Amino acid sequence: MKVQRVNKWRPQLVITLIAIFLLAPIVATFFYSISTVWVKTILPNGLTFKWYGVLTADPNFIPSVIRSLLLAIAVVIVTMVAFLPVIFYANVYNPKLKEKLRYLSILPYSIPGIVLVTGLVQLYGNVAVPKIIILILTISAICLPAFYQSLNNAFMGDDFRGMFEQAQLLGDSKVGAFIRVVLPNIRAGLMVGLLLTFAAAFTEYVITNIFLTGQYQTLKIYMYRLMNTNGNAASVLTIIFFLFLGVIALILIKLVSNQKRAKKE
Amino acid sequence: MGSKVKLFFPFSLVMLVGLVLPVVVMIIAGFQGMDGGFTFSNYTTIFSQNYYRMAIFNSLWISLIAGIIGLVISILGAWAITQLAERTQNILIILFNLAASFAGIPLAFSLIIVFGNAGIAKALAHTLHIGFLGGFSIYSLQGLILAYTFFEVPLGILFLYAPMKEIKKEWFEAALVLGANRSFFIKTIILPILLPNIIETFIILFANAMGTYETMYALTGNNFISIPIVIGSLIDGSLNANVPLACALATIFAAVMAMLVLVGNRIINRKRK
Repeated sequence: MKVQRVNKWRPQLVITLIAIFLLAPIVATFFYSISTVWVKTILPNGLTFKWYGVLTADPNFIPSVIRSLLLAIAVVIVTMVAFLPVIFYANVYNPKLKEKLRYLSILPYSIPGIVLVTGLVQLYGNVAVPKIIILILTISAICLPAFYQSLNNAFMGDDFRGMFEQAQLLGDSKVGAFIRVVLPNIRAGLMVGLLLTFAAAFTEYVITNIFLTGQYQTLKIYMYRLMNTNGNAASVLTIIFFLFLGVIALILIKLVSNQKRAKKE
Repeated sequence: MGSKVKLFFPFSLVMLVGLVLPVVVMIIAGFQGMDGGFTFSNYTTIFSQNYYRMAIFNSLWISLIAGIIGLVISILGAWAITQLAERTQNILIILFNLAASFAGIPLAFSLIIVFGNAGIAKALAHTLHIGFLGGFSIYSLQGLILAYTFFEVPLGILFLYAPMKEIKKEWFEAALVLGANRSFFIKTIILPILLPNIIETFIILFANAMGTYETMYALTGNNFISIPIVIGSLIDGSLNANVPLACALATIFAAVMAMLVLVGNRIINRKRK
């Protein structure tokens, strides 16, 4: 082991270079967000927190956060109600269906948002349907692959079929047995799936912006507009957004490592 | 209602309304004119007019270059992670997850702060007289490729990290004992094991770059001609909107991507066997 330690400078150098490269724009954005003026100079003219005040005082800021939150919560609920039972059924009762669901992983790459929104505009563009409902269903559908994959691991190992059926023998209804016996045993995997779904819905831009013609101003749409009107406030928003993603990434890692530990025990 | 129906109804409703019907209608609409009649004219327009051919060419080119650069750096990166302490590995995976999800408008804006016309890079180039940095534009083809590497590299690392972690140090030691040198070991043992994952990762990086709209739009608006941008400008409700033409272009895109991923899967499955 000691012999290998000596040679670690190479991987360390590679990772350091990649990390510096990836983080440099974010660090620059942070300094921009606390600069009085930073245009065409190497260093900012002075430091200030006033842009943080400017952003939070903007009457459009909080409503756009709330709109993104509502959208994400709606998508999470649809995912729970529509997808979770089917994924349970495929994993526990129907391996053939599971085999078919595997093909979902191709979906996000062959039908990216810009392609899907074209179909949405064509189909629902001139029809009097509540577009926000369609949007919620569409975002749920594109979140399915990630949700499905994070749940698959959760169903491995335990005898869910036995648990589910015994609970019913003891007098539970199907829904009751599912909620009381199955859900607690897939908690970690379910949380990972829901968190990924939440984050994807919260940060969705292309479909929301084009399909609803920018009228439902989510956080990302607000960010784009702000970027073109007040760069300093937009840099504050970018930093807040980065921290938000960071918190989600931290929770995800915590959940996944707990799940791994639980499986090992 | 039977319990099977209850089980599948919500699932089918979401998938049909949210995904399947729009895609089916999109494919059909690609064969319709603005008046709704059947026609091939959308397809002949796309393949005969330079503007659309250029969009296809640009998209393929930018995705190929970004995919190759992303792949090479992420092979190095994923290898380097596996050499570090377990705890460091976990932290780095958080970092790369984070970097991958930062793509889009926030990434574009950060890059404008650094490389934009009033950015730090320009100020540096001006003061220190660095010609190539002064001439570099984040809004150009090269700029877009640079921007893409910021999410292609972490994405590639996330896909390659797990398979690389499977490679055991003992294999290398065993090979050394049997008289193999390092490059022979990499060529005959490591490469064949990793090749399916490398191909798979490249296809994902390529497809991901092809479908990237948000980052490109946030950087260049509708100025850079690529498949996603052209589709976006055809369906945004403006004066030159032409939804059926956009449907045809989107159909070509989806068909090519689906084929690429399927062929890739086949190659990978054969190699794995």
